[in-house]
Amino acid sequence: MAQAREEAGDSRLVSGRELSSHIIRVSVKTPQDCQEFMLAENSSVHHFKKQISKRLHCDTDRLVLIFTGKILRDQDILSQRGILDGTTVHLVVRTRLKGTLPGPGTLSGPAGHCMHRSEPSTSESAGMLARLGRLARSSPELADFLGQLAQLLMAAPDSVVQFLESPVVQGLANEKPANTSHTPKSSRLAQKPEPALKALETLHNPSRQQELLQEDKRGLEALKVVPGGDNAMRPVCSDIQQLMLFTLAPLVTSKGHSAGSELCKEVASAHIDTDTTATIPTALAPARPLAQKVRVGDVSQARCVASNQASSGCGTGVPDVNSSQDLLSQEIQQPVGTAPLTSQLRLSPSALRRALHDLQQNPALLHQLATGSPLRHHMPLLPILTNPRALQALIQIEKGLQTLSKEVPGLEPCLWGPGRSHGTREPPETRGGGQSQRVDSVQPTLAILQLLHALSNACSQSTQASLSSSLLIEGCYQQELEHLKAMGFANCDANLQALMATGGDIHAAIERLLGEPEAQVPPVDAHSGEGGKGRGTGGEGK
Amino acid sequence: MEPPNLYPVKLYVYDLSKGLARRLSPIMLGKQLEGIWHTSIVVHKDEFYFGVGGISSCPPGGTLLGPPDSVVDVGSTEVTEELFQEYLSSLRESLFRRESYNVFENNCNTFTNEVVQFLTGRKIPSYITDLPSEILSTPFGQALRTFLDPRIQPPEGSPVGPPNGQS
Repeated sequence: MAQAREEAGDSRLVSGRELSSHIIRVSVKTPQDCQEFMLAENSSVHHFKKQISKRLHCDTDRLVLIFTGKILRDQDILSQRGILDGTTVHLVVRTRLKGTLPGPGTLSGPAGHCMHRSEPSTSESAGMLARLGRLARSSPELADFLGQLAQLLMAAPDSVVQFLESPVVQGLANEKPANTSHTPKSSRLAQKPEPALKALETLHNPSRQQELLQEDKRGLEALKVVPGGDNAMRPVCSDIQQLMLFTLAPLVTSKGHSAGSELCKEVASAHIDTDTTATIPTALAPARPLAQKVRVGDVSQARCVASNQASSGCGTGVPDVNSSQDLLSQEIQQPVGTAPLTSQLRLSPSALRRALHDLQQNPALLHQLATGSPLRHHMPLLPILTNPRALQALIQIEKGLQTLSKEVPGLEPCLWGPGRSHGTREPPETRGGGQSQRVDSVQPTLAILQLLHALSNACSQSTQASLSSSLLIEGCYQQELEHLKAMGFANCDANLQALMATGGDIHAAIERLLGEPEAQVPPVDAHSGEGGKGRGTGGEGK
Repeated sequence: MEPPNLYPVKLYVYDLSKGLARRLSPIMLGKQLEGIWHTSIVVHKDEFYFGVGGISSCPPGGTLLGPPDSVVDVGSTEVTEELFQEYLSSLRESLFRRESYNVFENNCNTFTNEVVQFLTGRKIPSYITDLPSEILSTPFGQALRTFLDPRIQPPEGSPVGPPNGQS
């Protein structure tokens, strides 16, 4: 207190209220503690900061004072800002000054596994730029540097793409992201990547890419010129590479960390030579049907990876990654010749298993899925998915189903049947907990549940233990079959075939049944009923 | 000097009991509680909250609780996102460490109250901050405390309390 009085420079030791034009007592609250200061009410904020810096032994430049949500400027007068006796002012002491860049290490030499990834580079560049934007937001020091980088991007996209392809950058692919503890903040850099994205899209041109392959590392040199660039780029690049890997990987393999990066590596290693453009489009092609489904998974997975799980609010990051995903999806739509990975066009059981495994091991991913997905037409299976034992059980079921599907080929139509009939039969537990708004985009699990239901139907209605394929299929469309029978289509086999052909759509099945020349009795007939003519023409009733 | 940006600050309020507290509190506690309130701060397009995992953030409405039951506008702030993050980092080391979560005395609402005062100078509505004392003033609440507060040992001496750090 005595020190404060001296600092105030006023010999009169009175409480602030009586002589309001003079000394007031102001509390300064930091996250750590709260201290009181006595000073004249018409003193400037700058003066106040000097007092604080003396007491806290830190630089006035690092002090930020906040009062009722307003940041106090140095030239403000306390009383003008409404700081009266007994008020509390909040203080944040900045840990880092602007202009200095963190230096976690130097760029290591080129790594051995130089992956020529120029083909995906454009699509990845989109992701990279989005990632850059995020990283810029996450670290104020990098913001300045990345501002320069963004300018560089627009000025010479070639060199930067070249930079991306350089072995040095590739070599950082396996480094752990270092700069991930901070959550992103909004920044002008969010806008800068967008035009640069367009610039880079023009590079998605086979001949151009091959040119770039042969160029030297101009881009890397250019970036090294930027002061502190080497040190700062390391975490940036490692994050970039992580995001690149994981953006591309899940698209191809539908959610699988190791599988995805392996695939990427083999895809990448597959084009050591120049003929690169054919392979990546083919690799991307099978992702086309998966792209929709895994898009959310990508976003969330990329976020998971990039944010090192846990507490990272990626609100502003998501739109950027989403836009990069859009670009990726667009590129995927390009017409492609062959698709060697056609086996992945369907949601194969292995993909299902991987999805379940990933969900099990990565609850953050699940969280993101559940909360971030735009698909809202399925009942949530969140209680099932968040329970690790339930997930384990599902995985076992899925394994068994995979075996089944191998053994019994006729199971296929049943497996990929429509979700319509099962949407209503979802276990009521999914409605509990007020989570019905939450969405579940994990269609693999739905497929499993569909099959479970089909099996249960089949088992309940068949007396024998062995599951014949026809019974299973019939069980799958039991409800529809009953409807059709009630309407007068008594030929169950034809009904079933129609249902299978239309994927369980009963109306389309009716159309189909009516349209065929050897069709069954149309319901317009007055006395068709259940028996009678139907049996007669059909020849084979139930 | 350019005018500083103003960022809106919202308080998201969730009723953890989903209406059950309103119905059952007269019976169980002997007094009427409108809800078991959980709050979070939404600023700079992110939702920030304090829980057993420490200070976390997510997209607004992105927790498992879903959309908030009510949103309170607590004003605007000039605090930039960068500054806010620094502030949160200091909080993570001081008052709101992961292990310092206490369901009655240092909970999500305590955090929210601190942050809102920092950002806007206002406090959160008192019915939220008064909730722990309301509950603890009932015998049932006191009994509940032995289960929820890891610092308190159950009277019999046998460790019936929750595992460490969970409350």
